[in-house]
Amino acid sequence: MEQVIKFELGRLNAHLPVKRISLKSALSASRPAVQGKNGNLHYFKREELKLLSKLLPESEWDKLQLPILIALESKLGRGAARISGEIEAKVIGKILQREATDNEIIVYRPELALIRRKLPTTTQYMFVW
Amino acid sequence: MSYKIAVIGDPETVIGFSLAGVSHTHVYRDKNKALGQLEEFLNNREIGLILITHRVVESLGPEFHQVVGKKGLIPLVLKIPDKTGYSPEKDELSDLVRRSVGIEIPVKTEGE
Amino acid sequence: MAAAFTSSPNRMELMKVRKRLALAEKGHDLLKDKMDALVMELFNTLKTIQKSRATAIEQLRKGYEAVSACMAVMGTFETMQAAEETKKEIQIEISERNIMGIEVPTVEIEETERNALTRGYSLHTTSSHLDTAAREMERAVKLLVELAELEVTALTLARELERTKRRVNALEYILIPRLQGAMNFIMMRLDEMERENFTRLKRIKAILEERE
Repeated sequence: MEQVIKFELGRLNAHLPVKRISLKSALSASRPAVQGKNGNLHYFKREELKLLSKLLPESEWDKLQLPILIALESKLGRGAARISGEIEAKVIGKILQREATDNEIIVYRPELALIRRKLPTTTQYMFVW
Repeated sequence: MSYKIAVIGDPETVIGFSLAGVSHTHVYRDKNKALGQLEEFLNNREIGLILITHRVVESLGPEFHQVVGKKGLIPLVLKIPDKTGYSPEKDELSDLVRRSVGIEIPVKTEGE
Repeated sequence: MAAAFTSSPNRMELMKVRKRLALAEKGHDLLKDKMDALVMELFNTLKTIQKSRATAIEQLRKGYEAVSACMAVMGTFETMQAAEETKKEIQIEISERNIMGIEVPTVEIEETERNALTRGYSLHTTSSHLDTAAREMERAVKLLVELAELEVTALTLARELERTKRRVNALEYILIPRLQGAMNFIMMRLDEMERENFTRLKRIKAILEERE
């Protein structure tokens, strides 16, 4: 049973990218994707990239790192998640129509659902413990 | 990766999809031939999506799920209505969701 | 049952069990978080499926109607002929994307709509009903491809949710209670042994005092 727990916990974050790519690179690539630590590829949908590019001035496209990571942290309690990074928090703030503070933004469950609906491939969950 | 689409159904369904540019087709005549063709489509690496009508799926019986269950993520298999618009009461997706989430979530829409 | 965990109730064993319990409880919390997120993802997908199914099926219905109309006007055989002459070039791009470690398909399809000149059938032997039929079916294919991606995603998420639920339940109802039981048992035994020791020491002390 405990082997199973260790296995499942290992699996939780294995998909996270080894290296993220900027919105700028993604827009110019023909099949934009990142590679996970487990070797699997994760492709971004073009319409999401377009949406993101409309939310930010072109000068900031190379600063937005994709995928945007949604951190589920035990200390935040259930139902809350943190998005860190100046531009990342800014763009999420724009979608939620509220301000990010200190280069990060904490989002709550209904907002999380909205973000995931609008950006299913350009955001990813990250478990922190 | 690029893939083609396949369709299995009655003659009119097949004509319709051929007109749309679908490359792999099979008109349903009898159960065994259809199962054979389905398996061929499933094993054909060029095919990414198989469209199959609800009626044909019912005619194929439990063998349909056996055959489809063996394959991996690709090709995707989608059950569609034929020109009669028939779709069964029992919906695999609704059932699975009800089991895993524990409550009823409407997946079928009105008039289906 | 608790005794099965420990060879001998001592402090080392207690520490080990405490560690295992902490790991199990942590695993339980995390997997519960995963379950919450999965349920949300599934709900999201299902909401989108509702809309997608409605539009796809409606468009398909239009397509079938147009095909029937065409066959009525042009003749079944001629329609079939034209269908065979049509170029069969539709391609879809299927790649993977990842939701919390779960692989699901992501599908893109280029524009499926063509025009009467480029489809491949000859224009002077066919009627405009054929063009309509082909166009409506082309539109239907695009919507069906999107629907297929969503349905397979939902199915995959639902299966993963079931697996995760089973793990959470196994932790909550089997492993954690077992470990707690073992922990309590060891603590109780350690207490007992200390009391026995204490009582023994008191007796020895009493005997020694008597001797004096």
